[in-house]
Amino acid sequence: MMDKVIDTQDLSLHYGEFNALMNISLPIYRNKVTALIGPSGCGKSTFLRCLNRMNDLIDNVKVDGIIRFNGQPVQGAGVDVIELRKKVGMVFQKPNPFPMSIFDNVAYGPRQQGIKNKEILKGIVEKALKQAALYNEVKDRLTESATRLSGGQQQRLCIARALAMEPEVLLMDEPTSALDPMATQRIEELIEELKKDYTIVIVTHSMQQAARISDNTAFFLLGEIVEFGLTSEIFANPRDKRTEDYITGRFG
Amino acid sequence: MFMVKRKIKLSEILLNGSVILSTMLSVVALGLIFFYVIKEGTTLLNWDLFTGNYHARNYIAELKETSTQTFEMPDFSNIENVFTVDRFGIALQEDVDLAGNGVVRVYYVHPDSPFNQMLSKEVGSEETDLNVGMIFQRISYVDHPSSLSRGGAQKFASELNDPQREVFEIFFSDLGGGIRGSIITTIYLIFMTLIIAVPFGVLTAIYFNEFAPSNWITKTMRNFIETLTGVPSIIYGLLGITVFVPLTVRFTPAVNSNLIAGALTLSVIILPTIIRTTEESLRVVPDDHRAASLALGANKTQTTFKVVLPQATPGILTATFLGIGRVIGESAALIFVLGAAVKDTVNIYEPSTSLAVHIWSMMTDEPANIALSSTIALLILAIVLVINVSVKLSVKLLSKKGI
Repeated sequence: MMDKVIDTQDLSLHYGEFNALMNISLPIYRNKVTALIGPSGCGKSTFLRCLNRMNDLIDNVKVDGIIRFNGQPVQGAGVDVIELRKKVGMVFQKPNPFPMSIFDNVAYGPRQQGIKNKEILKGIVEKALKQAALYNEVKDRLTESATRLSGGQQQRLCIARALAMEPEVLLMDEPTSALDPMATQRIEELIEELKKDYTIVIVTHSMQQAARISDNTAFFLLGEIVEFGLTSEIFANPRDKRTEDYITGRFG
Repeated sequence: MFMVKRKIKLSEILLNGSVILSTMLSVVALGLIFFYVIKEGTTLLNWDLFTGNYHARNYIAELKETSTQTFEMPDFSNIENVFTVDRFGIALQEDVDLAGNGVVRVYYVHPDSPFNQMLSKEVGSEETDLNVGMIFQRISYVDHPSSLSRGGAQKFASELNDPQREVFEIFFSDLGGGIRGSIITTIYLIFMTLIIAVPFGVLTAIYFNEFAPSNWITKTMRNFIETLTGVPSIIYGLLGITVFVPLTVRFTPAVNSNLIAGALTLSVIILPTIIRTTEESLRVVPDDHRAASLALGANKTQTTFKVVLPQATPGILTATFLGIGRVIGESAALIFVLGAAVKDTVNIYEPSTSLAVHIWSMMTDEPANIALSSTIALLILAIVLVINVSVKLSVKLLSKKGI
């Protein structure tokens, strides 16, 4: 029996009248990479945003069903969203470093939690940058503006920024879709490295990427999960016709 | 087939023609304003105007001792309208004052001149000296008829050089007509107004863009503020005189219109502009940055003030400079609230005049002082130009820094 960090049961989500997710029941296993694949608009990013409640920011969203993080419910008014987001970090599609220095970017999260001690902050920043495999490239220019970094470096900085909060889970929403192949490869290697310490949920449009880096794969279609299982099985031997059509490139 | 000559329609010619014509007319009209102001204004342009008092002070004095020597004087013979008095060590110049009237100006005073330490005939002061730039009004002589400035500098000079004449009494004054007081009032107004309006405006903009729910109340309030930017300032003046003047009279030592009421009124005038400009710059901050901050466990307030607001700095700066421009240019509202009396010493509890209202005062004088008005106009135009350039420069610098 594998350890579930996050577990959802019968999760449904409505944007106003539109039913974006229908009865999603999906376990996220500890220290595994779970890939969410599917055509555009199938609900995979929406599902990802449920896990750290980023959908709260959108008006008119209604979520039903159960999401548990380490056994605790995630939905509901009594849940400390800030505590949840500290434990469930997120990396976005487009690299979005703040227009401040590299150091300040990584130190942003801890600072907002009230950490002021320079030495402690320095330690956190250094550790996060090392984990994100960026430290050697930027160690001499930590005070430079983060917006001067290349796209791939910016995305790794965003990963470092999320890691600085010491989360358990890292949600990645198509983290390489805005990057060139070389930068993509570096991020993929990084994900391989990070899964030793973190649980990763990644939304991706690239079948090859999902096949390369993930342990489990969930195939979304029109707001439903068509198939979920070990990546090796899904890609070698899909049970559902629609999954097979999608991964062989017949639609999507 | 490419050689077919296209027919140009008459309507197109008319449209193109009116585009060119309108552009030319606009450029000419704007150019004429600049030309007029520069032509009229530069005649009076000098440093004394900016540093001098508006109200001339008069002096009456007598010489302690009469002159017995002849002074070694610099050579002024090649300067037009300057006449040397080597018996007393001074030089006089035929000049015009700020209103364009002929005056006799002191052009040079020798360090040892008897005019340097005269006995004042005014109550309470003992010694007074003659400075360069002062105006000779009248000289009285012992046993000779006194002489008035309208006789001109040459007459004064020849009379003073005459060893037969003994000077009995001299009546002279400062130049006057300077706009130092109005400049100081304007600077006070700018700072006081910005201190009030910028924080309120920025925080209101933050509320509207970051916190307000998007419903009809927010929309109505936003439209309302938008409308306020176009309200004629005289209406704000009305608000000022019915609300801010009584308020300041109640809570400060002020007794009637005053600088604080003026700054409060101007704050209300520039508030809509500051709110709107700041809101525009908040709106262009990418939502991605807000999302990233929230996803890092920061709360709404931290996100707003640590991530969003710093990125709006160029916009806030632009809003501030626009506000300064408005303060400098405002006149109608201030005539009520601040008053139109030109002052040399500025007190925030008393009425005084900003540069723009100074123009109004000069033009409602009898006769209207167009030359001085144009000089002030030139100063205002120069300040506005400097502001515009500094907005562009600072925004450019900020964006270069990657903020």
